[in-house]
Amino acid sequence: MSALSHLTDLTWAGLAEKPVLETGATVFAFLAATRISRLGGNHPLLNPTLLAIILISLGIEATHIPYETYLRGANTIHFMLGPAVVLLAVPLFRQRATIRASGRLIVVGLAAGLPTGILSAVGIAWALGASPQTILSLAPKSVTAGIAVGISEQIGGLQTLTIVLVIMTGITGAVLGPIIARLARIDDPRVVGLTMGIASHGIGTARALQINEVAGAFSGLGMGLNGVLTAILLPLVCKLL
Amino acid sequence: MLEQIARVMFWLCVGEIAARSGLLPLPAPVTGLILLYAELAVRKKLPDDLGILADRVLQFLGMLFVPAGVGVIAYLDLLKAEAVPILVAVIGGTAITLLVTAMIASRLGSARAKIEPRKPGELEELARDVST
Repeated sequence: MSALSHLTDLTWAGLAEKPVLETGATVFAFLAATRISRLGGNHPLLNPTLLAIILISLGIEATHIPYETYLRGANTIHFMLGPAVVLLAVPLFRQRATIRASGRLIVVGLAAGLPTGILSAVGIAWALGASPQTILSLAPKSVTAGIAVGISEQIGGLQTLTIVLVIMTGITGAVLGPIIARLARIDDPRVVGLTMGIASHGIGTARALQINEVAGAFSGLGMGLNGVLTAILLPLVCKLL
Repeated sequence: MLEQIARVMFWLCVGEIAARSGLLPLPAPVTGLILLYAELAVRKKLPDDLGILADRVLQFLGMLFVPAGVGVIAYLDLLKAEAVPILVAVIGGTAITLLVTAMIASRLGSARAKIEPRKPGELEELARDVST
């Protein structure tokens, strides 16, 4: 009996040190979230990342596992973010012909959208009395999540809060983008796509792809360039202030 | 394929060294992204395996944010206390950004642009590139 319980202890000790369960749970949660999202016609409100975060959080709540234990285990997945962001160079490189052909539009769009995205969020939060940490976490909200967490860390925001704000921004942009374009009577798919990519990164880009392929291409481009430029400019501006 | 993984890790490590030494105020992966793009621009060609690697990994980019996103549980009280400024800033700020960007880009940006015809299969490539 005691030999058996000793064996169980060993097994659990081994599992606790290895990130198997946390990594596995994350993969399964995301797979389930992707299925749910597909069942709902990939509606922006059914964002797989957000659904998976909710599923894991409910699981942690139900099993009373401290979330620190989960985070330590799921670090394997978090680590992959670095190499994945480097790989964003590939879709950007594939679109270099588009960048050259519509250079003026892209430069104007970024010059307007990049500062507006940061200042509107920071300004509103500041006016409504948000804490400095929340304001800093909000600043990179329009940037694709992988880059936004890096910026948030650099300027003193909370990475984990930034992730959630980035996803909320993406969902908002995906829902409002086509509506605002219609209200402003803008039907050039290049403008609509670029705008949605700059304002609402990958989630907006997924929605822009549903409008048409030109909107999707410009949205992906807006997302990539806005992410890289914000990463260069925002920490510099914060340092100067 | 191993070569391409090594290529990605190489530029990521260069980015990490630049960040840790205080040489560049940039997140290491962003430096890596810029350097990889620069390398591709100089080569003028995308290695097939690198394209495949990017497509495979970026397909589940959204999964990689889940652990960090779960961390927000620790800040639920903060989120509740600042729910109004956060929601107004995210929704209002995004609406303003969409409107301002679309208006300015359509007024000042479209003068000299032209649309390139797409190659077959390019839409599928784009769809794969899309992620959070």
